[in-house]
Amino acid sequence: MSAPFYKFGLFGDNIGLVIAFVIGIGFGFFLERAGFGNARILAAQFYFTDLRVFKVMFTAIVTAMLGLFYLSWIGFMDLALVYATPTFLLPQVIGGLILGFGFVIGGYCPGTSAVSAATGRVDGMIYLVGLITGTFVFGEFFPLVERFYVATPMGRVTIPDILSLPYGLVVFLIALMAVGGFAGATWIEKTVAAKRGAVKP
Amino acid sequence: MHAATDPLAIVDHEGKERPAGKIQPYWNPYLAGIGLGLVLLASFVIMGRGLGASGAFSSLVATGVNAINPAHARANSFYVDYLGDGTSNPLMDWLVFEVIGVFAGGFISGALAGRLKATTEKGPHISPRGRLGYAFFGGALMGIGAKLARGCTSGQALTGGAMLNLGSWTFMLAVFAGAYAMAYFVRRQWQ
Amino acid sequence: MRTHLSRLTPNQALGLGALILGLGALLIGNPSGGATATIDARELARIVQTEVDHVKPVELADWIIKGKADFRLIDLRSTEDYAAYHIPGAENVEPTSLMDYGLQRNEKIILYSDGGIHSAQAWFLLKTAGYRGSYILLGGLEGWKDEVLFPHLPASPSREEMATFEQSREVSTFFGGTPRTGTASDQPSATQALPKPEMPSSPAARAAAGPPTRKKKEGC
Repeated sequence: MSAPFYKFGLFGDNIGLVIAFVIGIGFGFFLERAGFGNARILAAQFYFTDLRVFKVMFTAIVTAMLGLFYLSWIGFMDLALVYATPTFLLPQVIGGLILGFGFVIGGYCPGTSAVSAATGRVDGMIYLVGLITGTFVFGEFFPLVERFYVATPMGRVTIPDILSLPYGLVVFLIALMAVGGFAGATWIEKTVAAKRGAVKP
Repeated sequence: MHAATDPLAIVDHEGKERPAGKIQPYWNPYLAGIGLGLVLLASFVIMGRGLGASGAFSSLVATGVNAINPAHARANSFYVDYLGDGTSNPLMDWLVFEVIGVFAGGFISGALAGRLKATTEKGPHISPRGRLGYAFFGGALMGIGAKLARGCTSGQALTGGAMLNLGSWTFMLAVFAGAYAMAYFVRRQWQ
Repeated sequence: MRTHLSRLTPNQALGLGALILGLGALLIGNPSGGATATIDARELARIVQTEVDHVKPVELADWIIKGKADFRLIDLRSTEDYAAYHIPGAENVEPTSLMDYGLQRNEKIILYSDGGIHSAQAWFLLKTAGYRGSYILLGGLEGWKDEVLFPHLPASPSREEMATFEQSREVSTFFGGTPRTGTASDQPSATQALPKPEMPSSPAARAAAGPPTRKKKEGC
């Protein structure tokens, strides 16, 4: 048996939609467990009081990255068959900055706002309305930004590709960076908590 | 997993032990992260694609525009990307179903932990109305940014991050840079 | 050592686990094996035996008529043969340049040569290099001529045979071939005139191609 199953024709589109729903449940469940249905926890990341966003996100990335690496290594999984968004460097940097502004202003990102709305948070619901409005605005102005949207195309390219490093080395460096980052994040949280404790007894 | 003696259990984000009430503390971030990573891995293995969120809302917007003014939607390649060639319903889409699942999963987890609550999350120094204004404006910025960057925190950062995608890592750095740069100006909202 | 390990908090243990797996990745280097391709001989044998790696000429003809574009058709013969005739839409790649031709490992690749030997060999080559979506046109170009270009009706056809022949007749005319009826025309196909190797354009084909359709987005 070889993965990805869908790409090897193990099931069709309709079963795929059922699987999408089930995977979505898992996604929403763990987002909520992580505390990401709460805008205060998400925003705390950017004031160094609770670095959960960083911790959860990078743990997830490292877990899936290692899983992909080893599944591919044992020959079970064909990485080339996994869909990867092509890189358009400049629009992605500018888009990322705008998205970052939206993150700290709105308190959510699209996935977490769905969880927050589902658990009754009014701000999450309003955020979703804003998200849909923003998407509509982008769609209406798309003809104006279309040229920028396709600027600096680089195709499907990975960090090992661009740096000509072995894939495994990059995996190791990211795992190392993440674990180091977790230790650092915990230290920052403690330091900030101690400071605030001193200010507000 | 939730027993107080379990070293993996964590106190809630305010650093206080919750009284033995209904509301459970959030999980240890690393455990939640591993759970999230395994869901992402399952999506890779089963479907050959990662997770996403913003794309579902784009499908929704494209469908809405198409319903009101089909000619207008057809002339715009952004909408066309989500409408497809017209042979299938644009809402019968993988991401749309996945996001419906996200709502369901969030609700299930929140219900099991006693965290369902109709409230507005905000800092103490801002009115609920003000917070909702920020939420709307932030959401709109997110919609624009996510489309420009071809994905949001789930589709780009998580999915592309695990695949070592160059654009996704660049995007991720930009997101953190943007959010930290803006944080000072909206601190009243949260602190 | 044991006491050191047991003194780790669960979080530290998880971090250590991630580092050990990362170190393993560092030692392995390339997850897809790089130059040393790993061949699952049993899996390959199973594919060969169950014939799931075959595409029948009639199936291929159907896809071309319907304007399906999710595959690449590779003609492994010489440039002269290719110039003389090839299946519409085929790309000419000789086996020596197959690896550098820029095929994607996630593409559906259909190979054909005159008979079946070259395509079978190229199929193994591609499979071992990780091109999982490789297929062979059953019977090669000979099979294509026999079944698609010059289908023939047996001497005393049953009703069922008549019906399928009517279908093949349409397909054959679409590709510019000549259907053969009766015993008289049961000659070797070499004597038949080969059509020009161009993409036929019938109303059906143009309708199928239509305006350039765009697939729905796969990403966010």
